[in-house]
Amino acid sequence: MVEPETRQSLMLRLQSASDQQAWAQFVAIYEPLILRLMKQRGLQDADAYDVTQQVILAVTQAVDEWQPDGQAASFRRWLFSIARRLALKFVERGARTRGPSRRGAGGTDMLNLLHSLPEPEHRTVQFFDNEYRNEIFDWAADRARGEFRESTWQAFWRSCVLNEPIAAVATSLGVTTGSVYVARTRVIARLRRLVEECEAERDA
Amino acid sequence: MTPDTHCNRELLEKLLTESLSERDESDASEHLSQCPTCRQEFEVLAAANDWWAEASQRLSHRADRRGTIANITGPDDDDDDWPATFSTDFAVDFLEPSDDATALGRLGEYEIVEVIGRGGMGVVLKGFQKELHRYVAVKVLSPHLATSGAARRRFAREAQATAAVVHPHVMAIHSVNANVRLPYLVMPFVDCESLQQRLDRQGPLDLKDILRIGMQAALGLAAAHAQGLVHRDVKPANILLETNVDRVLLTDFGLARAVDDATLTRTGIIAGTPQYMSPEQANGDGVDHRSDLFSLGSVLYAMCTARPPFRAESTFGVLRRIRETSARSIREINGDVPEWLERIIERLLSKDAGARFGSAQEVATLLEQCLAHQQQPTTNPLPALVGDWPLLPSAQTRDQRTGSQQRRLAAIVIATMVLLTGFYHAWKSATTPLPQEQGAAISRHSSPAASDASGSKQADAPGWNELNDELDRTESLIDELESSHGDDRAVQGANR
Repeated sequence: MVEPETRQSLMLRLQSASDQQAWAQFVAIYEPLILRLMKQRGLQDADAYDVTQQVILAVTQAVDEWQPDGQAASFRRWLFSIARRLALKFVERGARTRGPSRRGAGGTDMLNLLHSLPEPEHRTVQFFDNEYRNEIFDWAADRARGEFRESTWQAFWRSCVLNEPIAAVATSLGVTTGSVYVARTRVIARLRRLVEECEAERDA
Repeated sequence: MTPDTHCNRELLEKLLTESLSERDESDASEHLSQCPTCRQEFEVLAAANDWWAEASQRLSHRADRRGTIANITGPDDDDDDWPATFSTDFAVDFLEPSDDATALGRLGEYEIVEVIGRGGMGVVLKGFQKELHRYVAVKVLSPHLATSGAARRRFAREAQATAAVVHPHVMAIHSVNANVRLPYLVMPFVDCESLQQRLDRQGPLDLKDILRIGMQAALGLAAAHAQGLVHRDVKPANILLETNVDRVLLTDFGLARAVDDATLTRTGIIAGTPQYMSPEQANGDGVDHRSDLFSLGSVLYAMCTARPPFRAESTFGVLRRIRETSARSIREINGDVPEWLERIIERLLSKDAGARFGSAQEVATLLEQCLAHQQQPTTNPLPALVGDWPLLPSAQTRDQRTGSQQRRLAAIVIATMVLLTGFYHAWKSATTPLPQEQGAAISRHSSPAASDASGSKQADAPGWNELNDELDRTESLIDELESSHGDDRAVQGANR
């Protein structure tokens, strides 16, 4: 998504594994989120894609401004908070102008532009927060799925999301109903931890 | 657990975090399916009811959301989502064209003839080296790891170090080429299958094979440790068994390290299923050669039972089990395994690295002596060492053990009662001397323990003692019953 050189300098700046992980998480959540929001706001695919890239790029450049505050997860908190502010402004602007600025307005210009954009309306914030939360659940689901056995995941997905009867799920997975209850509860517990991790970061 | 007693909170928490033994877990989940109260309490431990509802509602629209995105992210998709396995295209992709029409392509001086295998770290190719007229196996680091400078440096450094380990039980390395786009190393081509493949195909192995493979793997590890190398990824898939020759080759040194390095920085999680990791690895602590000894213990365990000692539904569950629980007793799963071998494996599986054996060489020597005993029991006594330490090294193991013994005992008591009730009724309805037959069956049952031919410690194990006592009591009850025909009170006594 971000140009290779930017990526490299970013990775130089982000020495610690947990910071790099926070970055990967930010991209995994924000990229599809902005893309979807822009499409919902009527942008063409290519334009929506362009805006998404601009948001990620703006945040990438902003990383230079980050100063560790010496507390735990400093970068993570900072990243998710600036990402939200920037994304909200983009969404607000996208709604008004129905089109991105021209590409190439990179560097500090990008940040200045963003600082000069108006604060988003309350309605935009609500809308954004709701969609952000959807995205977090999607992200958490992607993440959790890889951490569980496929049958455990299926037990959760089919009984909780598709609302299939427990007995039917158990029969088709060849397990006991008790283990379906256990499996889906474990998945929920994991999803909740992943989602709360993102919430805590954003609220910080 | 009966349906009318409720689970306590601690048990439910352990169930949620996959910290129960397999048996307790299946008891508890059985109970949950019967008891809505406990189920509700259990589910709320994971998340409040409205959180469940929210997850369900938000995720149910996921397909719509994801569908929209899938249509647009094609072209600029970067390599963040590299699959763990690669398409054949990848293997051929980086090869140069070859003059040999039968080859897939050329890599350096090697004509690549086929793809042997793929894994999380890259591809293994079969190549032919014309100058020396020999087949080789070429292992190529995967593109997503090759872009990480750290992974490349480690690959080179550790591959070179491994090349310095010259030992009959360590896969030799012909050469390393680290300064190309995709670093690769070249090894002899050996006709073999991995221990993992053998276990999948055959199930638990014979005692002789377990000891031989364990001994040779330990020797290979000892040679590596002597060079200051820690393998870090000892598992059945990395232990190769040569076809038609009883020779074991340890492989994949160092690559393991390159892999967890790069994947850790990329995603923060460990690649693959870490079933053979040591507790210190699972904790993310520094490791030394004793970490390999733990993994060797897990491999021995797998050879005895055809499954790894720590299993769970999720990666986290496996890591937690490795850190916090003792593996299920081997002989509960496979009664053919002698107790002394279980002792050796239990000691290797000590959570405390200091409580394991001192070195891989020590383990190799021990297993060698055990193998000699196995082959010539009369001339080669079992090494004294295998009987020297307590079977139950930690309090944790002891608790779990005692629990399982109690359950076993309870099962015997119940079975006895059922049996007695059964023949009481049979005998009540005035049929033939069934009691005698039952008594005979029971004493036959008890005989293997009493006259254990191998002279091992089996007969001394508390479980067997209690079983024998219980069976003795049962038999005397049967005698009593026979001598008191018609006396209902004796039967009542037996049933109590």
